[in-house]
Amino acid sequence: MTAGLTLDTVTVRARGRTLLDGVSLRVAPGDFVAIVGPNGAGKTTLLRVALGLLRPDAGQVRVEGRDVSGLKPGERAALLAWLPQRLEAAEPITALEQVVAARYRFPESRRASETAALRALAEVGAQDFASRPVTELSGGERQRVAVAGLLAQETPLVLLDEPANFLDPAQQLELYTRVGHLWRAGRGLLCVTHDVNVLTHARAPGTRAPRVVGLTGGRVMFDLDYDAPDLGEHLGALFGVRMHSTSVDGHRVFVGLPRGGGAP
Amino acid sequence: MKLRLWAVLALCGVACAVAPFIGPGFSADTADFIFWQLRVPRTLMAMLVGGTLSLVGAVYQSLFANPLAAPSTVGTTAGATLGALVAIVLGARLAPGGLPLITAAAFVGALGVSFVVAAIAAGRRVRMNDVVLAGIACSMAAGALATGLQFSADSAELMAATRWSLGHLPQVGYSGVLLLTPFAVVTLVGLLTLTRALEVFIAGEEHAESQGVPVRRVRTVAIGLGALGVAACVAWCGPIAFVELIVPHVVRRTLGVSRRVLLPGSVVVGAAFLALCDASARVVLPGRELPVGVVTAALGTPLLVYLVARGRS
Repeated sequence: MTAGLTLDTVTVRARGRTLLDGVSLRVAPGDFVAIVGPNGAGKTTLLRVALGLLRPDAGQVRVEGRDVSGLKPGERAALLAWLPQRLEAAEPITALEQVVAARYRFPESRRASETAALRALAEVGAQDFASRPVTELSGGERQRVAVAGLLAQETPLVLLDEPANFLDPAQQLELYTRVGHLWRAGRGLLCVTHDVNVLTHARAPGTRAPRVVGLTGGRVMFDLDYDAPDLGEHLGALFGVRMHSTSVDGHRVFVGLPRGGGAP
Repeated sequence: MKLRLWAVLALCGVACAVAPFIGPGFSADTADFIFWQLRVPRTLMAMLVGGTLSLVGAVYQSLFANPLAAPSTVGTTAGATLGALVAIVLGARLAPGGLPLITAAAFVGALGVSFVVAAIAAGRRVRMNDVVLAGIACSMAAGALATGLQFSADSAELMAATRWSLGHLPQVGYSGVLLLTPFAVVTLVGLLTLTRALEVFIAGEEHAESQGVPVRRVRTVAIGLGALGVAACVAWCGPIAFVELIVPHVVRRTLGVSRRVLLPGSVVVGAAFLALCDASARVVLPGRELPVGVVTAALGTPLLVYLVARGRS
């Protein structure tokens, strides 16, 4: 049995298009794997396949050694938690109720669920708006509640789909710092993003670097450490620009420049 | 919030208790009979039907994440109407018994159409919007067949069909109440046990699935149970307009959207609302009874518009 999430030569086709083409990937507990790539690269498809929401046409997805499509929803929810691009409640339920929903998989009393949910909200500093409707929260507050949901589900693996997409820079920083906490608590993380620089927020000084997997046209182009010297080159090729790596306050960041050179 | 909850519950209890007393006065010698044999069973019937329809409406709205979803969305009402029409057109000649045959046919029609929709909902790749579309398509097909039947019916049959389609609470005494009770109880208890799963549905069905909800099973069970309960109600009373749509929204705006309040709240408020509507139907045109479907729309629409308008400001 292999711990973590394994994609083994996964291929997904839809309407004559190949969305994923023989993708192999492994996320072990304690790994932070970032999937980067241009729009339409197949990033979201990859997450949906990993979650078992989509069946691959070829290849296999295994979680803790078991085929994900053979798992019951309850079993799968015990292993994988998912934060979609936008988690929107159709109606103004309270933040507490939203986090309580993440406890569905536990056969426990309502009171126990609420206690666990409140603990998760406190962990992300959201206890003050536990009883406020989620629809009235700001984007950053809403994402904090969503992270509390991930905590409350208590899974070894967490899948995130561009969680900072609609956030301003301060909120992005805060969110990825929390994602970093999830990671250092021993969870395996698979995070889709098209901005690699946010990953630096998730790191604490002296810790391991996240892994960056480049995806385009449904294929894995590279699988490198964030600190790999040639990551910039690969990122540039992936996005069709020149990627220059530089250091700001000891953080490695990447700047995209036009291909023809020119600008310093 | 707690106080408001108890206030609404108390109000509903009073409404149900008062309902049989509302209506034109009656002389002393017939009072007992009218009160115990007509009005009390009618009120009980109204409570059963109102509670069931409202809960099914609330569950469908939660399930489809669509505030306009109702039993009519999944074809239940159209199927019942088709069944009743078939019975009226054929049965007027075949069965002198009349009502039970129409009731049985409406029940079969409602179940038939909604189980087609439930079967579609059970499909693996099917999304909620597809289910709504399938429901609308099945409704239209059943409606077209019904219209075709009406076209070939004679005037007496047409009149009977029109009356049936207005929605009414029949003079059935306790036998009707007893027949409806098991269906209502199964529907109410079954649907209320889905509360926990429906709470998770608020953030979308895929997310619910990722949190461990067996989505396909929940929606098949919900649509199936809902169809059973509504079919039983519609079979006796015809399609009573608006109850299943209005009551959940009234509850939402007075007691909140939490499924743990909305679902049981809809049962209680729905029961009281229909009992009260039925009582008002006796008062509006004394001697001649207005179909209760007319009253539910007449009373419910202003209430809903008021609540929506208040919510906006």
